[in-house]
Amino acid sequence: MKRREFLTATAAAAVLSQMPIRIAAAQDKVIRFSMPQDFTKVYTFVTAEYSQGQRDYLTLVNLQGGINGHQIVADVSDHGNDLPRAIEAYERAKSEGAVLIDPLSTPVARALVPRALEDKINLITAFSGRSDAADGTAFPYVLPLSPNYWTQAALLIDFFRQKDGDLNGKKICYVHIDTPFGKEPLPILQKLAEQQGFELVTFPYTPPGNDQSAIWPQVRRARPDWVMFWGAGVGQTTALTEAIRNGLDMSRLSSSVWISESDMEVVGAEQCTGVLKVEPCVSGREPELIQEILKEVVEPDKGAGPEDKVGTAYYNYGVMLAAIMVEGVRKAFEKDPDGPISGEWLNAGLRSISDFTAEGLIPATTITPEDHQGGGQGRIAHWDGAKFVPDTDFFSANQDVVWEEVRKYSEEFKKTGK
Amino acid sequence: MFYRRAGIRHTRYQDERQIWPLPFDRRLALLIFLLAIFAPLLIDRLYLVSYLLPWVIWSTAALGLNFLMGGAGQIHLGYGAVIAIGAYASVHMVRAGLPFELAMIGGGLLSAAVGMIFGATALRVKGLYLAMATLAMQYIVDFVIIQFPAISGGTQATLQVPRVSFLGVEVTGDLAPYYVALLICLLVTLFMLNLRRSSFGRALAAVREKDYAAAVIGVNTFRYKLLAFWVSSFIGGVVGSVLAVCYYRAISPDQFHLDLSIQLVAMVIVGGLGSVLGSFFGAALILFAPILLNQFFGFAASELGMTISTDLRSHVPLMLYGAMIVGFLLWEPLGLAKIYANLRNYFLVWPFRHARQ
Amino acid sequence: MDMLLLAELAINGVFIGLMYALVAAGIVLIYKTSGIANLAQGALAMMGGYLAWAFSALTGFPIWIAIPLALVAMFLIGTLLERFALRRMVGQPIIMVIMLTLGLEIMLRGVLPGFFGSAVKRLDIGIPPTPFFIGDIFLNKATLIGGSVSLLLILVAIYFFNSRLGIIMRAVSDDQSAAWSVGIKVERAIAIAWGLSAVMATAAGVLWGATQGVDWSLSLLLIKALAIAILGGLDSLPGVLIAGVIVGLAESLATGVLDPIVGGGTRDVVASVIIVLTLLLRPHGLFGREHIERV
Repeated sequence: MKRREFLTATAAAAVLSQMPIRIAAAQDKVIRFSMPQDFTKVYTFVTAEYSQGQRDYLTLVNLQGGINGHQIVADVSDHGNDLPRAIEAYERAKSEGAVLIDPLSTPVARALVPRALEDKINLITAFSGRSDAADGTAFPYVLPLSPNYWTQAALLIDFFRQKDGDLNGKKICYVHIDTPFGKEPLPILQKLAEQQGFELVTFPYTPPGNDQSAIWPQVRRARPDWVMFWGAGVGQTTALTEAIRNGLDMSRLSSSVWISESDMEVVGAEQCTGVLKVEPCVSGREPELIQEILKEVVEPDKGAGPEDKVGTAYYNYGVMLAAIMVEGVRKAFEKDPDGPISGEWLNAGLRSISDFTAEGLIPATTITPEDHQGGGQGRIAHWDGAKFVPDTDFFSANQDVVWEEVRKYSEEFKKTGK
Repeated sequence: MFYRRAGIRHTRYQDERQIWPLPFDRRLALLIFLLAIFAPLLIDRLYLVSYLLPWVIWSTAALGLNFLMGGAGQIHLGYGAVIAIGAYASVHMVRAGLPFELAMIGGGLLSAAVGMIFGATALRVKGLYLAMATLAMQYIVDFVIIQFPAISGGTQATLQVPRVSFLGVEVTGDLAPYYVALLICLLVTLFMLNLRRSSFGRALAAVREKDYAAAVIGVNTFRYKLLAFWVSSFIGGVVGSVLAVCYYRAISPDQFHLDLSIQLVAMVIVGGLGSVLGSFFGAALILFAPILLNQFFGFAASELGMTISTDLRSHVPLMLYGAMIVGFLLWEPLGLAKIYANLRNYFLVWPFRHARQ
Repeated sequence: MDMLLLAELAINGVFIGLMYALVAAGIVLIYKTSGIANLAQGALAMMGGYLAWAFSALTGFPIWIAIPLALVAMFLIGTLLERFALRRMVGQPIIMVIMLTLGLEIMLRGVLPGFFGSAVKRLDIGIPPTPFFIGDIFLNKATLIGGSVSLLLILVAIYFFNSRLGIIMRAVSDDQSAAWSVGIKVERAIAIAWGLSAVMATAAGVLWGATQGVDWSLSLLLIKALAIAILGGLDSLPGVLIAGVIVGLAESLATGVLDPIVGGGTRDVVASVIIVLTLLLRPHGLFGREHIERV
């Protein structure tokens, strides 16, 4: 009976797989970060590099002796953007005493919000999740720690204004994936359009956006002054390809943080020259922190992934987030050196980060109990055919409009959320 | 040994018509029932909240779909949309101030109504065409939910489920949601178990085997097919509201996409078409195999030094998920339920094999 | 409404539709010979795209060798699939066969990105990305070439159905046991149909891969292909051509006309609406044969 043997083997594997958790949980002097992320479904384009960056940075921290003698353990697993699996990972993290969970997925982050608030576990929603989570008073345990999409859109609009002097009478096309994520910046853009007098034309495309051939001719015919395209993964490369085919001016084409070197390679590095993006941190290998990782982690072959990915945009996002998390741990130890390590303990630390720059990798970031976004700073960079070159310094813009929107939704959440 | 039988010998018709003719099976069912009731005392809360609870809910959904696929022989690739309608309808009703009990039934009724519209469309055709019609239903319902902020809940597209109480008990914490889900699961299971013994069930079986033949012997096939769609969609809607309130607590459109439909169909196929027990088996396997495998690979990578690339490691669940469907269809089309039945038949008269008929 | 824009959308829509039709033609080919609807057709297209990419990027063959290699490999894979999976399912209920192909689809969606990496791959078949205008009307070169190649391939397939092998296949599709009794090797005919269908899928995968890059989302072509196959009639190859043009046009115009009204991407839902309408009004499609069922 081969079949029965197979079933027995599966059952044995199932039981075995439950074991290591119980053993590892017994060790002390450990701070546990849970990082169930989507390696297989929607976020495949970013997760591998992002996670590699996070793990490499944590390895670096651990090699240097950890924080206050505590090693940081990252439980990386795959939730495949599937909620039951993500909830399982969350509940597992909770019972193992993880102080932080970073799911890197908008649907998962949204679904975990009520649980995280109830259980007091820090839910990191960097570049994902609800934009209104920037309001720490409504979402004490949800921390974006990065400029949200509203801020990113506002930064781009301000950049256009800087370039053109005045946006009055200009036309801006917003091409977006037709999901909650793609529609998110709409209220901000509409408000800014009203305020600054530009015309906003929106073009939704159906997810995942592998076919946008009917969208871009319309964009071209609209003769826009600026184009923003908002999507992820295959939607981004398709958008770029179609934009090139339609002969749009690449230097007036811009996207959010979700565009990277590998997208450019797919489309053709040469042809994309000029495309703009929002950078939440410095890209490339120059920053001191990346150099350190290269020397101490990657060279001795302790890296979590292929070496050539080190220093890519998404890799650096991973390093950026891991660095902020670890800074939170450091602050938490400063505040309460002996305090039992818990979500609450780390939360106090994370919310007292001030002027943290991760050795020049990120803009000076301050997280407060009110502002979970960290100031909403970013810079605009363009692709020069081989790498992203910054056009501006890190800046922050239109935050009044963004916060108006944040408060509007967070108030609503406060009222009806429970 | 366990069953202490040498073949089944009945002396009365009632005995033969029992759900579980053997005392052993009755005791086993009772034991499982008691285990389910006392599970919170027996297992860690992690396993209660993130394994047992989804298992109970998904099994109920699989039962609802199995009623249609196994019971009436109609394929449905849009069951996720049916569940979505129930979930959204009931959450909106609860938010409007309706008690949860009513909202649950309301969600079920709305699902049944919409499900029946598509069912009626589909009933002119069958087999492959029916599959396509239900697939189209999935896409259309998804589209409608996403396009109307009034349904999906504004720019954030997330609907928080308010605190509700069920039959006077507040559905919060770990225990209450579990018992609510268990109660619904129990009701659906009892319905399914007794289906075979009713005229409704027999008429459905006739329709399933050959609808023209059923019509010839006087079964109104159209009516019964429609009724099957109605009942199945009603169960789907109720499951949707349980899923939203007891498990997700915040719903957004992507929770009910095609993936959910395919997952449920896979549960029914892997578990066994038309089998109540199989629905539970199938739900367990499809729901937990990816989680366990993923943990196993994580464990293998960290403790045994097995180096698997992340890309490969993270796609293994998907591969096995597909391979499992293919494998079962090729080698055991009646699914896990049949494997169980084989084992049971083997042990029924064990060790007196010669007594088997 | 801007007439030029409509014209532009219509032209591009027609060519996109032809590219969809190539995937649909594979479904029809299999349905015609064996009566099975292959829900793995999208995954086969994805696999073809991946193989072509792998042959050119990993082994260093130039692209015009890599593509034929991929075509040959996929022909073999198609026949093997038939031999070792589908043939065992003969006589099973349709529900089971549909699920089997769906299982294959899911499995392939895991296997290929798993082994080749999940990032989007660039497949350059030498179509220059520079814009191409006739007057003020923009023509998308990639879809223009892709659509023309698809049209050519479908015409070849239609012609092929009139060749000797094609006639054998038609005999098989009419009545398997009758074909058997006159000495036709039914299994071989079905296996060849699978192989050819996999070849068409590969061609579609390469053409689509060249326009959008190769990744798992190629498998999403399935739903469009199904809409086309159902609208055209599951057993009609010429139907595929016409239905492909209709679906392509409908989608493209919906994007241009409906989207601004609805405020959302209507493109995918168009395919679903077409499926439902076809089933309501003309279940066997525009050109399909009506089946008479016997008890």
